[in-house]
Amino acid sequence: MSTHKLTIEFIINGQKRKIETTPFTRLLDLIRDDLHLTGTKEGCGKGECGACTIIMNHQLVASCLVLAPQADGAEIITIEGLGEKGKLDPIQEAFIETGAVQCGFCTPGMVLAAKKLLEENPHPNIEEIKRGISGNLCRCTGYKKIIEAINLAAKRLTQQLEEEKGKEKNV
Amino acid sequence: MSKMYVGENIIKVDSKEKVIGKALYPDDLSFEGMLYLKIKRAVHPHAILRKLDISKAEKLPGIVKIITAADIPWVKNFGLIIKDQPVLIGIGQKMRYMGDALAIVIAENKEIASQALRLIEVEVEKLEVISDPIRAIEKDAPPIHNNGNILATHYLEKGNIEKGFAQADLIVDKEYRTSFLDHIPLQVESGLGVFDAKTEVITIWAATQWIHDTQADMAQALGLPKEKIRIIQPAIGGAFGKREDISVHLHLALAAMLTKRPVKLTYTREESMITQSKRHAFIVRAKTGATKTGYLTAWQVEVIGDTGAYASSGPAVVRKGLYHCTGPYNVPNVKGVAYTIYTNNTYAGAMRGFGTTQMAFAYESQMDILAFELGIDPVRFRLQNAYEIGSSTPNQQILNTSVGVKDTIQEAARMANWKEESR
Amino acid sequence: MKRFGRGIATIMFGFGYGEGFPDYSVASIEFAEDNKILVRTAAADVGQGVLTVVVQIAAEVLKVSPEVIRIIPGDTHLTKNAGSSSATRQTFFTGNAVKNAAQALLSNIYHYASIEFRSNYAELSVKGGYVFRVDQPNNKISFWELAQKVKEKGEILRAEASFFPRTNKPNPETGRGEKVYVAYTFVTQIAEVEVDTITGNVQVLKIYTAADIGKAINPQNVEGQIEGGAMQGIGMALMEEQVLKDGVTLNANLTDYLIPTAMDMPQFETCLIEKEDSDGPFGAKGIGEPGTIATAPAIANAIFDAIGIRFYDLPITPDKILKALKEQKDKKL
Repeated sequence: MSTHKLTIEFIINGQKRKIETTPFTRLLDLIRDDLHLTGTKEGCGKGECGACTIIMNHQLVASCLVLAPQADGAEIITIEGLGEKGKLDPIQEAFIETGAVQCGFCTPGMVLAAKKLLEENPHPNIEEIKRGISGNLCRCTGYKKIIEAINLAAKRLTQQLEEEKGKEKNV
Repeated sequence: MSKMYVGENIIKVDSKEKVIGKALYPDDLSFEGMLYLKIKRAVHPHAILRKLDISKAEKLPGIVKIITAADIPWVKNFGLIIKDQPVLIGIGQKMRYMGDALAIVIAENKEIASQALRLIEVEVEKLEVISDPIRAIEKDAPPIHNNGNILATHYLEKGNIEKGFAQADLIVDKEYRTSFLDHIPLQVESGLGVFDAKTEVITIWAATQWIHDTQADMAQALGLPKEKIRIIQPAIGGAFGKREDISVHLHLALAAMLTKRPVKLTYTREESMITQSKRHAFIVRAKTGATKTGYLTAWQVEVIGDTGAYASSGPAVVRKGLYHCTGPYNVPNVKGVAYTIYTNNTYAGAMRGFGTTQMAFAYESQMDILAFELGIDPVRFRLQNAYEIGSSTPNQQILNTSVGVKDTIQEAARMANWKEESR
Repeated sequence: MKRFGRGIATIMFGFGYGEGFPDYSVASIEFAEDNKILVRTAAADVGQGVLTVVVQIAAEVLKVSPEVIRIIPGDTHLTKNAGSSSATRQTFFTGNAVKNAAQALLSNIYHYASIEFRSNYAELSVKGGYVFRVDQPNNKISFWELAQKVKEKGEILRAEASFFPRTNKPNPETGRGEKVYVAYTFVTQIAEVEVDTITGNVQVLKIYTAADIGKAINPQNVEGQIEGGAMQGIGMALMEEQVLKDGVTLNANLTDYLIPTAMDMPQFETCLIEKEDSDGPFGAKGIGEPGTIATAPAIANAIFDAIGIRFYDLPITPDKILKALKEQKDKKL
């Protein structure tokens, strides 16, 4: 195996990073081992389980299937990039409240899948939510409370948006 | 008395850490100067190891050490009930399933460890592979362990089974089969080990469903006092019975002891599925008698549990299945026998339900067949046979308290708007 | 064509190790300097939520907010044996151990506070981390101040307790035993399914569960156990099988070994029957394993109801269904 090194640059969770890697390093390993962002999990290494899901260039990606150099110039969001100023993202809050977390190993990937889903479709019905997380396996919960969490987050995000609009009008 | 917190949906104490990605599972931990392990596994499900050549693998730059059975003659077998599982297979010893470990490769990084696995040369003398428990109990089948392939036999007898069948108007006699299942916890087996040269304490960060039992089993296998083994529980990514057995723990301990450096071992999903315990495949022959008015008179079962290559919790699993053979129904006459059988399949152990899950498929199919044949509504049939206070289980335990089985039948039927059908 | 069917299954599960095997859990409770109460338990939280149960029980007995409780979790050198997180036993065993430890601690709080207040213990009460005289509610002392005063006497305000019920080893010839399991959990599930006779695919539409669990310490988490368990039961009934041919696994990956995804999820309706009548903490019984046991037979029975074919081996895959439907048709001709 070549030990050839190369340098890549990308934005991860809003921060610009420049890092040396190899052509064979998986993006998942770069994120976990080099950047120490261990919220992104490995469940199968074959793109089957969704535990390593990240958002790259606005797409849901199984980071175990992506080689690090492919992330050159990309914009990446991992679970650590959610929420602002110490406040949780409404999706994360909803996961806690509805009891959608059991062992928690699928949770980061699941939350990011939900994030992406709600960005594309702010008012999903139950079937659309199911489809949105169908690439993410959970062995503990039976999915019901995860779906409830995403539904709750969708409602709150909509409400939040309307309140902001209301404020703008008042101004 | 009204309660403040019990009965309330208090949010899970660990859920915040988990939703922000800060909960630390074993593979999320790391130490300065850490080495990585990979395990060379069996090359055949039933064979005697004749040659294990690690010389090429050892020469690979970045390989720190490769441990084989020859390096650890003091180490003993491990196992939850019976100590029948070797830590490493030595020359002249048998590998009994594809998950058996032949060598522990220790390297500066994961890639080199994986490469080294391919450079280890193994020669074996193949034996007949026994993948079917029926074949395993034939007289001419080669014994997988010294005492033969029937690991355990358990019995159940209550009342008089002949009398019970004589009283029956209908007898249903069927055979049921269930498959090997994997628990598939989302987190695969993983752990870290650190050896403190000063205190000689080995600390292991790895999931187990029972740290003190794992500690005791490790200590006896390594010949160390228990206090020299410290297990710290990281976040656990699901278990379902699969983390009752030792997985990475002993290999980590040995690697940490022999290299005196921190070590990490994480399985691949494939390795996890091949190596760690399964739900037992069961064969259940069930014979059930009932009167034409729909009362159970006799229940007889024969159970064969394929426990694979090692005992794990196997005998207890198959026994517990047997002890639940009638389901929650009054049956005055019960007879059963259950065999726990070694094969060269991946060993089977605890999985959610511990043998009673497989058994429930048999007894609830029997109940359904009986109800259908007798022309009695399945809900009514269950209700009229279900336990109540004072009922006696297959073990003849008298139930004195908390017997809500009829309530569950009635509530479920109410929710589902179940209307009696006359067939 | 899609055919609808429904099936019922009722199960029992004797929980704890039982069968005369020693089965106990030890827990202890002490005070930390940062105004927290520390509970030590080795009980493994594998996602089921035992540590949340522990917090709720300790908070209930000590009448403090759950946020005040902190757990020192599994570490062989800092905690004592709690037994395994298996056999559906932790809520019952560790729950009782923690309840007993909290009660022992509360007794000690009363004991030492009655010295401080120069009163009898019966004149005292606790609330929000304070112990006070009932007739003078403003005359109060916090648990942590009390712990400090006890420490100054050279003693420690803490408590350790266990729960260690007896079971009997069954007779090896008959299986007979007076108390083989500490208690039984009972569950009934009704499954509604739709069988597609063209593809052989089975969709589980709805699962109704009624569970006799004595008392739900945390109803949301009990539901989570039931829903997750049912989902594993759907896997067992319809798709899961590790295929071993001559000892070699042919499907050691998640593409060939299928587990249910969100698309396989039925609607769940769950009823918890809470009679608070067991020896568990506050009458609770375990639900970890019972949540999964009834599902596969309920589905198998529902498939029979839908297409009139009984399957005797699991999983009931589309292949098996199509083959059986063809045989059924050939037979009729």
